Amino acid sequence: MRRWDIFRLRLRTLTRRARVDHDLEREMRFHLDQQIEENLASGLPPAEARRAALRRLGGYTQIQEECRDMRRTDYIENLWRDLRYALRMLAANPGFTIVIVLTLALAIGANSAIFSVIDGVLVRPLPYPDAGRITRVFFHSADYPRFPLNPFDFRDFRARNRSFESFAGFTRGDLQLSGVGRPERFTGFRITAGFFHTLGLQPARGREFNTNDEIDGNGHSVLLSDRLWRNRFAADPHILGRTIVLNAEPYAVVGIMPPGTEHPGNEYHGVAHGKTVDVWSPFTFRGNPNQRGSHFLEVIARLKPGVTASQAQAEMNALIAQLAREHPDALEGWQALVIPLAEEIVGPSRPLLLVLLGAVGLVLLIACANAANLLLSRATVRRREVAVRAALGAGRSRLVRQMLTESLLIAALGASIGIVIAMAGVRALVALLPADFPRADTIHVNAAVLAFTAAIALATGLLFGLAPALQAIRVDLNDSLRDGGRGSTSGAGALRLRNALLVGEVSLACILLIGAGLMLRSFVNLLRTDPGFRPEHLLTANLSLPYKTYKPSDMIHFWSRLDASLHSVAGIRAAGIGTDLPWTGWDDNIGGLTIEGKKPPAHEMFHARYHDASPDYFRAMGIPLVRGRFFNDGDTIKVPLVMIINQAMATRYWPGEDAVGKRITFEDHPKEADWMTIVGIVGDVKDRPNSPETQNSMWWPIEQSPVDVDQMAVALRGSSDPALLVNDLREAVRQLDPTLAIADIRPMDNIADANISTPRFGLFLVSLFAVLALTLAAIGIYGVISYSVSRRTHEFGLRMALGANSGDVLRMVLRQGIRLALLGIALGLAGALVLGRILMSLLYRVHAADPATFALAATVAVAVAALACYLPARRATAVAPARALRSE
Amino acid sequence: MGKPSDLIQGTLDLLILRTISYQPKHGWAIAKRIEQASEEALQITQGALYPALHRLEQQGWIRASWRKTETGREAKFYELTRAGRAQLQKELAQWQRLSNAVGMVIGMAEE
Repeated sequence: MRRWDIFRLRLRTLTRRARVDHDLEREMRFHLDQQIEENLASGLPPAEARRAALRRLGGYTQIQEECRDMRRTDYIENLWRDLRYALRMLAANPGFTIVIVLTLALAIGANSAIFSVIDGVLVRPLPYPDAGRITRVFFHSADYPRFPLNPFDFRDFRARNRSFESFAGFTRGDLQLSGVGRPERFTGFRITAGFFHTLGLQPARGREFNTNDEIDGNGHSVLLSDRLWRNRFAADPHILGRTIVLNAEPYAVVGIMPPGTEHPGNEYHGVAHGKTVDVWSPFTFRGNPNQRGSHFLEVIARLKPGVTASQAQAEMNALIAQLAREHPDALEGWQALVIPLAEEIVGPSRPLLLVLLGAVGLVLLIACANAANLLLSRATVRRREVAVRAALGAGRSRLVRQMLTESLLIAALGASIGIVIAMAGVRALVALLPADFPRADTIHVNAAVLAFTAAIALATGLLFGLAPALQAIRVDLNDSLRDGGRGSTSGAGALRLRNALLVGEVSLACILLIGAGLMLRSFVNLLRTDPGFRPEHLLTANLSLPYKTYKPSDMIHFWSRLDASLHSVAGIRAAGIGTDLPWTGWDDNIGGLTIEGKKPPAHEMFHARYHDASPDYFRAMGIPLVRGRFFNDGDTIKVPLVMIINQAMATRYWPGEDAVGKRITFEDHPKEADWMTIVGIVGDVKDRPNSPETQNSMWWPIEQSPVDVDQMAVALRGSSDPALLVNDLREAVRQLDPTLAIADIRPMDNIADANISTPRFGLFLVSLFAVLALTLAAIGIYGVISYSVSRRTHEFGLRMALGANSGDVLRMVLRQGIRLALLGIALGLAGALVLGRILMSLLYRVHAADPATFALAATVAVAVAALACYLPARRATAVAPARALRSE
Repeated sequence: MGKPSDLIQGTLDLLILRTISYQPKHGWAIAKRIEQASEEALQITQGALYPALHRLEQQGWIRASWRKTETGREAKFYELTRAGRAQLQKELAQWQRLSNAVGMVIGMAEE
């Protein structure tokens, strides 16, 4: 009730001001009249009675003012007055206003845009209920930091662990749909019971798989994505329980996942996080539970409430030790790795995003320094105004408040335009984001971004407004009123402050420039490094043969027929078929090789990635032969086994020897026929585009492959646009088997390009911010030097009158500016040395303290500074001595 | 500036609240009543009285309304609100404590 009264009163005071003032006047008049009456009653003559009463009443205006103060609305009224005043001031100096507001708008907009990305990618929880408890579980060793599990190990962990509420496995299992329109292969996963339960999701219709579905022979059921259900089955609600043909076998549809279902991302035959998966089928446990050598099941698990990832990891390690006693050879050397899912998905993007946030933050600081500088220069001009207001009785706090109102208004204007820039910027950023960037679709300008923008606007307004405001009230009234704002002592303090701001912004710009330079060098290095293959004019695609219609021997036969028919197509210079394409995440590892005549170091195994390749695979990929020979049509099942290895493996296992002719086997007790002879060594293909590492690799001829060759990639090298080969490929496949789907048809260029798009994205933005920073710093230098020149017009005039020529004056001004810039650059170099460590993880073959980059950045900074000084310096020399002297 | 420097800070509020606690009064009457009751010892200037009234009103302790005086003129009358009555009790108690305490200290000094 009381609060309501108070609110009503204040509202009335604010909105009905005239009425309130009128009331007060009536009240005072009543009081005065009473006093007069009393005076009359005591016998004073009327005129005297009135005078005495007025005397007693005191200053009416003062009472009125005090009453108004008591009504506590003066803050708001003053604010309103200050705002109107500030608006008038800004409107009176449009040039000043536009420069300062646009500077801030750019900086604030850039910050809001980058913050939107950070908010969407790093801050917002994953689209799973209680996502903080979802973790990924890997095996871990020095050679394989993140390794999938063996299914039977998985089953034991699932049964024995006490840390997880649910524990599920998944592994890549694409499915080919035929019988409904054109054959198409869908990205799919084979999942154990409770996979979606672990993620906190459930089917929109139907059910997810249970342990009964995991039994070998039961696996012919499928869950469809909402997208697939709508696109291929017209959202038919009666599809549940119906049978569709996948991989040439009947599968019963048991459920439809809701539209927002997101794949958690995975490592082995990896598919990125997001709405990237269309079919899920049950994972079935097959084979002998005591043979646990093969690892291909990835694990996702939900922690029980209150259990941490590291506690779970400790328990998993204990379970590994326990299982290692039961299966001595299988778990040797493995440790468990439990990582929060969010970390797994966005962790790799974090360093880049934080660097971007840092870079854009520096830009904001520079913009603040610039704004402060502009305000300071104007504060000097306005010294007289401030002095007059102070002389008329404005308190210091009142003056500071008024100056801050102005700077906050400027910041608010900047922020409003900044938001518009941010909205456009976010759209541009999302478009620029690499295709595999996690969570790009959650990036929006939302309430959090608006709040962030308001907060930085407030912070910047205070940051750039406070120093000028405090400076402004340090005026000496007498001085300022007398000399009209020129050459008084308080100017020196302002100049020192301005110089300090200038040095600061030059150093920040220099840091950004160095950062951009380092990223540029790193990127050039990336482009320059030989990936080990030639991606241009190369068309790639994936094919998989259903087990239902192809026996393993038929598969080998199919590939050799496809190979032959592709070779006969005009325009194809080389056609290759192999299990892998570089940089696509499709690779398999094998450990425990036996090398004839060699023993591995203690606690290590000889290991290599294994692949199949057709005779022309290397030629098509553009992978060079280093020694020996490629495969040829003679490498069939009827002759002794042969293999090709990469250079990395040759130098690692046969240092100083010729590996060609040496023999390898997978068997612990090999018969003569088990030995494979190395016939060729090929060049290294880098594992990832942004790392120089290359793992050991080896290839079998498809005909001699010891593993089933159901899935293969096709690589066609043409002489021009690879898209021209798509129809030839389709036709060749159709003639062999019209039910086969051709998946992932894309030029190798795209794959290679996608792999460097993240560093390119980072480089682009950091360069953009560096250019922005340098421009702002140049404006800052220009402003400070111009101001100082205008202040010293008199001095220059005098000097020139006394015989200094214009060159002397030019040098003097340049020296002043360059000295400040050099100080800033020195500080910037030192700062970059310290901050460079942050960039380290983003750099490729460039040291964070790369001398060339530092030197170049310093040179550019000096050049820009010199240019920014030169323009005002020129103006100084143009001063006519007589006019300068008179201008006093 | 007409602030009652001879009155302990906040005492004027107490005096006003007390003065209008029996019946609503206008500013002139409040000042007169305080002067009379204190046998002219306390002189309340308008410069102190009206800002205080406005502050008390602003805090919700008192409420103002325009009414006719006995002589038929319009004047702004102030009366206590419920919250104001509670506030008066609180301030009275506080004043008692304070004056007791001051009295004790003065009494001690005499010994």
